[in-house]
Order: sequence, then structure tokens, then C-alpha cells
Amino acid sequence: MTFDQVLEAVSGQAVHRSSRWGNLDIRHAVTCDLMSDVLVTDHDEILLITSLPSDQVARTADMVGACGVVLVNGKPPQPSLVELCGELDLTLIRSPLGSFEASWKLGERLLR
Amino acid sequence: MIPIDPNASPSALLELIYRLKVKDIMTSGVKTAEPSTQLREIQRIMRENKVSGVPILDEGRLVGMISVDDIIRALDQGYIDSPAGVHMSRQLVALEDDMPVSFAISSFEKYRYGRFPVINKQRTLVGIVTSRDVTSGLLLEMNRTLEEMERTLNAQSAPVPVGQVKRVFIVQQFDYENAGRASTELKKILNDRGVERPLQRRAAVASYELEMNLVNHSLGGRLIFHIDEERVVIEAIDKGPGIPDLEKAMTEGFSTANDWIRSLGFGAGMGLPNTKRVADEFDIQSTVGKGTQVKAVIFLKAGTAP
Repeated sequence: MTFDQVLEAVSGQAVHRSSRWGNLDIRHAVTCDLMSDVLVTDHDEILLITSLPSDQVARTADMVGACGVVLVNGKPPQPSLVELCGELDLTLIRSPLGSFEASWKLGERLLR
Repeated sequence: MIPIDPNASPSALLELIYRLKVKDIMTSGVKTAEPSTQLREIQRIMRENKVSGVPILDEGRLVGMISVDDIIRALDQGYIDSPAGVHMSRQLVALEDDMPVSFAISSFEKYRYGRFPVINKQRTLVGIVTSRDVTSGLLLEMNRTLEEMERTLNAQSAPVPVGQVKRVFIVQQFDYENAGRASTELKKILNDRGVERPLQRRAAVASYELEMNLVNHSLGGRLIFHIDEERVVIEAIDKGPGIPDLEKAMTEGFSTANDWIRSLGFGAGMGLPNTKRVADEFDIQSTVGKGTQVKAVIFLKAGTAP
């Protein structure tokens, strides 16, 4: 799945596009608001779906080697989060959908 | 108002409040008004500039101050359209820009005002200082001092052999602005050294868990990285409070985090168990009242793991 397909699936808006936006095949997604739980996942290059808008989301995503973050519930990301995504070359997408709906729409496409 | 007690504060902090001047922490470029300005207009200035006090100048000379309390009173008593000159506080206490911050702190204590105008030697208004300016000014300065200490620590440590890297980071309790900075740095170093992704990931996760533990649970401490061709050693050493029951702390799901820490996305009770899980070697020592030392090792070459 590409980032363009992610955008379409979650009716999202790209807040920051990483340098790898066009050439990434996303295979796994993790939905979680507790960053401690994200740190326990073992898949590489996951897409992190969360409703937490703080910069620890970008830090956590970077630590586990995630390829991007989808911020759900239409929450505006904190300016420091946007800045950090730029610094760490992480894609940040904002979606108006709730956590469950966004996960379901992405899951449906990922399992196809 | 400002939580500093000159009789019971660390000397480093006292040194800071004498060294820093009012001009170092004040807000300059202050919005002002004239005695003829309507209070309604001043209310607009406050709202648009997010300030709680506006100095009143008469031909450039400071003659009074309108605070948000004055505006509330004007709205309550129905004279919001009258000029500032009639209702402003004229009993002004101004601070001079060259005074030490300690002086500003005692003025807040003594007069219980929310803000003070700041003037220079020529008695011209140059800024305004609120208790918030004092606190954030001190915090910024403390951060700067800490960064300097980090640099000195890194420069002073014994020269490390070629191919080896040692980094020391000071991590402060509840400093969520910088939390994770040290681990991001570790990941960059490993990436620059061409370490394989899964190993980078394990080292970064171990380091980040330990760093967040220092921020969330300790009274502050240090995170130290030793990196060579064969291994990454991550040490987290804190100043307390120590862990009363290590066995419990190593149990998945056991957490002493409060709701506030959870609202920031941490406190699932996985920190230490997860660090142990991703590390090849793990050791923890803790003494209540003294502190905790954790050491996690990740081997970088096949064959070096036990």
C-alpha cells in the first residue's frame, strides 16, 4: 500500500511528506495511543495510527523504524510534532476519521 | 507565586537569580496606550496580544498601568468606554532593567502585583515582566546551563579509542520537551555507522524506554552510551527515588505511572521488561532513597552474543 492510497483510505491530508513518500510499500499498521505499547511491536516500517498529537509520537515512530504516522480524530498536530517529523524524515497524515474507522479502512486494504 | 525560597534553594539556582538581569527575562516590544485611550480599546489590545497589562504613556513617559482586573471592573460597573487616564493605577512600582532577577522575585512577593513595568537608566519604558517571565526565563537559563555541562562532560571524558564513541546526556524529570532527544541521537550515530536496521531498532527502543523512565519516574539522571564495533552499552543512572520492589517493576503491566503520564502516552508498565526483551544483556540495581542503575547491552556482530 502506498501513502497516496493511505491518504485516500482515511480521507486524510498530508501534513508532512517524507523523502520516501512515493516509493514505499506499507504492509503493517499499528493503532495505539500508548507509546509504551508501540515500543513492544516487532514489525519494521509500520504505519502508526494514533490520536496522540504530541512529539513523543514522532520520537516513538522513529525508534521503532515506523514509516509514518496517521493522526486521527481530526486532531491538529502540535507544532513541535510537525517540526520533529520534518527533522526525522517521517510522514505525518491527519485524518478526520476516528481511530476505529481509520484502522478498519486501512486494515481492509492491507489485507486485500 | 514564584516557588523559590532563597533560604532553601540550591546554590546553583541562587547564583542564577543574581546573575540574570531583569532585561534578560522581560518581554520587550510592549504594547502601550495613552491616558486618552478608551478602556474598550485597551481590552482589544490585551485580547489581540494575549497580555494581561498595558502600560499607559503620556508623551513617552510612563504614568500608569491598566490591568485585566481594571478591565473586568470597568465591564462590571459600566465604564468601559471611558478613557484609561481616569481609571489607571498611578501608584506604580517599576523595575530597572539592570536589576538582578532576585529583586524582581522579591518585588512579586512584596507587592503581589501580576506584572511590573521595566524602565532603563533614562527612565524610558523598555519592557514588562510577569511572574511567568521569571519562571520561564529561569527554566531556559537552567536548560542552557545544563547543555553547557553536557558539552563539558563530553569534552572532559578520557579520549576514547578510534572507532569508539561515548556520549553522556543529562535527563531531567518531567522534561517532556527534550525527552527522547538522547535516544534519537543514539539512533543517528548507529545509522551513520552503518549498523543493521533491526539492531538499530533494538538499541533505540532500549535507550528510549530507559530515557522515558528517567523523565517519568526518576528525580533526573544521566543516560550514557558506549559504542564500539562489537556492542552498544546503554547506561541509565538516576538520583532516586529508587525502586522498592525490583521484581514487581520487572513484571509486564506493573506501573506506578499516574494519569498525567498516561495522557502523554506512557506508563503501560512495559518499560523495563521491554528493555530486557530487546537487550542481549540486562542488569538493574536499585536502592530506595539513593537511585537506580540500569545497563543494557546490544551486540552488533554475530558471534559476539553469548
